Amino acid sequence: MKDLLASRLDFLRTVQNPDGGWGFFPGKQSWLEPTAYALMALHGDPASSQHFERGWMLMRSWQLPDGSWQPCAAVREPHWTTALSVTLHCLRGVHDDSFRRGVNWLLETSGTENGLKFRLVHKLLPSVVELDPSFKAWPWRPGNSSWIEPTAHALVALKKASSAQAPSLLRDRISSGEKMILDRRCSDGGWNYGNRKILGTELPSYPETTALALLGLAGNRALDLAAPLAVARRYWASTPSPFAKAWLRVSLRSHAIALEPREASSLVPHDIMINALEIIGSTGVLA
Amino acid sequence: MRRRGFLKAGIAGAGAAHLGCSLQESLPAGPPGRSAVAILKASSYAADLLSLLRRGAELCGLDAKGKRVLLKPNLVEFAFNTAINTHVAVIAAAVERFRSLGAAEILIGEGPGHRRDTLGLAEDAQYRRGIEKFDALFVDLNRDDVSALSGFADLPRIYLPNTARRVDLIVSLAKMKTHHWAGATLSMKNFFGLVPGSVYGWPKNQLHQIGIDRSIAELHRVFPRSFAIVDGIVGMEGNGPIQGAPKQTGVLVMGGDLVAVDSTCCRIMGIDPQRLEYVHLAAERGHARADGIEQRAESVASVRTDYTLIDSFRTFRLP
Repeated sequence: MKDLLASRLDFLRTVQNPDGGWGFFPGKQSWLEPTAYALMALHGDPASSQHFERGWMLMRSWQLPDGSWQPCAAVREPHWTTALSVTLHCLRGVHDDSFRRGVNWLLETSGTENGLKFRLVHKLLPSVVELDPSFKAWPWRPGNSSWIEPTAHALVALKKASSAQAPSLLRDRISSGEKMILDRRCSDGGWNYGNRKILGTELPSYPETTALALLGLAGNRALDLAAPLAVARRYWASTPSPFAKAWLRVSLRSHAIALEPREASSLVPHDIMINALEIIGSTGVLA
Repeated sequence: MRRRGFLKAGIAGAGAAHLGCSLQESLPAGPPGRSAVAILKASSYAADLLSLLRRGAELCGLDAKGKRVLLKPNLVEFAFNTAINTHVAVIAAAVERFRSLGAAEILIGEGPGHRRDTLGLAEDAQYRRGIEKFDALFVDLNRDDVSALSGFADLPRIYLPNTARRVDLIVSLAKMKTHHWAGATLSMKNFFGLVPGSVYGWPKNQLHQIGIDRSIAELHRVFPRSFAIVDGIVGMEGNGPIQGAPKQTGVLVMGGDLVAVDSTCCRIMGIDPQRLEYVHLAAERGHARADGIEQRAESVASVRTDYTLIDSFRTFRLP
């Protein structure tokens, strides 16, 4: 196990780009998403401190004037990965102006389905996509609707930010985001990207989005999550996907459920996100 | 914005538009000349697809010599006993065909709209086992390097995968399916998978906000160097593109004019292409009218197989 973790850390250090970031795959353009997961994975590892600093500097340089973060150098537009940057600030204990502007951006951003236009249309045609538009959650990009994954990451960020920001400012958005996730749960007990029923047809859940939804809901002891956690455990046992397994491990750990990692004989995958997520699931940095 | 457009933009938020289309106006004449579209019979995936693709390429005058080619299958989700994705046998045959045609480089690329584990989907769909050296050929277009292209519908720019932008030819290896928001999903709609999730998310909700029909037409405009091979051996009817039922149709449809290919597929499926908004929007750059299409090999009438349509598209049925 230690060897596997060490090999993954070594892999991440080796494939860091000259600009300090990480691509989705070695040698590719740096993106905030794999960079953020790589930084979470390297966080606290003494042998990786220089690599962390270089990645941190790049990440910080990508904040836009409105407080959001851009997803990569080539795309200078606000993006859901702002939530990952806020989470990283919390992990590092940096609660400066950059952090506060990131939190404010998250608080000011919500999906369009919560707006008047969508609510009106949804009232006229409620059966097309079954959802409750009264909940404020998060889109992939401003001006779009809310979906499970960006909402889950925003919830992780705001819950972690609650220790540094006045919790009353964040409480309503956290509560509404959690309600949105619960509202979008599929009839099979898990979650997909965020549509549980379209045109009267129930849609199936996926392992990775079930993991993310549960990660977003973690920490709220008032919620009874026994049933979806059981679904997640079943997915853990059955999915062949390393990507889904990595997210399930991160997520279940956030609910104090420890799982064995993939077989120690597994090769380090080429995919930087999977490597980073497997370390995050192992160290419990997001738990 | 027209009333229908307003409603579509609103409801598209969490899924997509579903209000049908009431277009009755005639299709534009399209560009000068006529477009060749080959319809080839293939009763099953065990047929000699390589020979069929060779014949189709000849009938359509396809020239791939020296070109960098991106094969873009329709890999959406996976479920057993359904016909969601382009069949692995069609993709494997296309790889061989383009090799024989002298392509300088052949890649396979896809960016699924719902699932982030693209390779996992490819595994489920048998692509990794059924296509030689698949991992070496494959590019996850959701997580490719990107660059900006100015002007896309009302957006100042769109970000697109560099792999798709640098190739000389994109081959839309589409699936013949009904689509609960657009009416039918064929070679042009398949280009949604060229839009990167890393920028636009899963699903690529921005395309819904722009309008599905308009986004289809815009993607067709920004990727003009293209060719279509539509897998209609077993298509999908009813509540497509994912929850519908398999439909044995027994055809491959090929051509260099994607508007003409899609219009031909619609006619095979018993759908009036004139009723599809995206066909109208793209018809200035291709032939949608039957008199602008030179049908080669089989005729539409000889293979027509009416697909079950959901209520909102029932009026789209061809007589």
